[in-house]
Amino acid sequence: MASQYDRAITVFSPDGHLFQVEYAQEAVKKGSTVVGIRGTDIVVLGVEKKSVAKLQDERTVRKICALDDHVCMAFAGLTADARVVISRACVECQSHKLTVEDPVTVEYITRFIATLKQKYTQSNGRRPFGISALIVGFDDDGIPRLYQTDPSGTYHAWKANAIGRSAKTVQEFLEKNYTEDAIANDSEAIKLAIRALLEVVQSGGKNIELAIIRRNQPLKMFSAKEIELQVNETGKEKEEAEKKKSKKTA
Amino acid sequence: MAATFFGEVVRAPCRAGTEDEEEEEEEGRRETPEDGEVRQQLARKREVRLLRRQTKTTLEVSLLEKYPCSKFIIAIGNNAVAFLSSFIMNSGVWEEVGCAKLWNEWCRTVDTTHLSPTEAFCVFYHLKSNPLVVLCQCSCYVAEDQQYQWLEKVFGSCPRKNVQVTILTCRHVTDYKTSESTSSLHTPFLKALKTQNFREPPCCSLLEQPNIVHDLPAAVLSYCQVWKISAILYLCYTDVMKLDLITVEAFKPVLSSRSLKSLVKNIPQSTEILKKLMTTNEIQSNIYT
Repeated sequence: MASQYDRAITVFSPDGHLFQVEYAQEAVKKGSTVVGIRGTDIVVLGVEKKSVAKLQDERTVRKICALDDHVCMAFAGLTADARVVISRACVECQSHKLTVEDPVTVEYITRFIATLKQKYTQSNGRRPFGISALIVGFDDDGIPRLYQTDPSGTYHAWKANAIGRSAKTVQEFLEKNYTEDAIANDSEAIKLAIRALLEVVQSGGKNIELAIIRRNQPLKMFSAKEIELQVNETGKEKEEAEKKKSKKTA
Repeated sequence: MAATFFGEVVRAPCRAGTEDEEEEEEEGRRETPEDGEVRQQLARKREVRLLRRQTKTTLEVSLLEKYPCSKFIIAIGNNAVAFLSSFIMNSGVWEEVGCAKLWNEWCRTVDTTHLSPTEAFCVFYHLKSNPLVVLCQCSCYVAEDQQYQWLEKVFGSCPRKNVQVTILTCRHVTDYKTSESTSSLHTPFLKALKTQNFREPPCCSLLEQPNIVHDLPAAVLSYCQVWKISAILYLCYTDVMKLDLITVEAFKPVLSSRSLKSLVKNIPQSTEILKKLMTTNEIQSNIYT
């Protein structure tokens, strides 16, 4: 049945599916994992870095991008689609600032991206964007925000979420481990993001990229050394916790 | 006769049919010499050939007649191929005994000596220290009309019954039919389907009805069932059809089967080889980030 209704984006199947949108969601699963955590005074984005060819410049393959000074976004899915969406979102951030003299709220820019994606699910001759995005930042009221958008154009606020390959595994980890203690302070929230990524990233710290935004501060990208430090600390804590557990059971 | 809206008169189809109509249809069906030639050219192009890559000579008899074996392990699809490459092929020295060359609308096999994971190939090896173990790595798509040719060229027209066949392959989880909610499925997961002559317990649960197996794995299993050969198919349902670490590792329970247990030597090294394969494959594509 799918084959009759899955070629044109503007056609519903008899049981109400828009197959092209669902196929676009499959394209998202081909991108590497992205995890977002909303802490008390911090928002964290962690991504699994894509391996690059020897002669390729690593800087041209970036999953985390700043949309404005106080908002940033990470995506999973089709690289080229992400470039277009990010570019439109950056322009909208500046346009909003020029028009109303205020920076965008995180919700506003998320809604803008989601509306853009939805338009592409309802136009003839176009296809949906094959990306999901995690958008994080702080509004003027100082409250941290984390939103997720998907190819259908829906968006939701989250306390913590993951997208991309093996997102389900990371989501299950977050459901078990996202507690008030786990986000008690900034470094705990960062460690939670790293631990969540290490559930699915095989080669450890060198394949992880991390970015944070603190209240009233711009986006900070962690260097490779800082990430390695954090990963080692997380590893040590995990070992100590396991030792304690085995002592208790013994 | 019928008239269309535009006034043209067309022949209305008649179920009764008449002799005249049958004759006219036959005339239409009769091939012209050009049609026949095109058909023959296409048949030649779609022929499956087994040859030795080094010498480029065709095998005169079927593969298993030339290289009789007691264990035949077939990996179909890039994840199954990566699993065998990482966990089985590092256990000893494997000598290539042949490769299948075929063409269809979906793939064209390459017969260069250095194969990359992204290319389509179908290569056969045997273990040098125990030539009764034969392995096939098939990452190409074998079309329906080529499957029987493949089976004949590999197994022969009268295969030996004392061989145990193990087939590994993957399928997308959207093909899996179940009464449970799909969100409760923990992909990837393994299912088995065996022939009547396979007596050992499988390494995972059996594939439930109404699920069916498709393509070359189905052809091999059916062939083994007809010829009363002991065979088992391990089918991994996954949500990532491209080369994926988690999908490949989902085949690990198969390492405890009698066919493969003796072939597994160094699992940590296997994991390293697998990671290298993944990295090589990932680097090839920049479409997804």
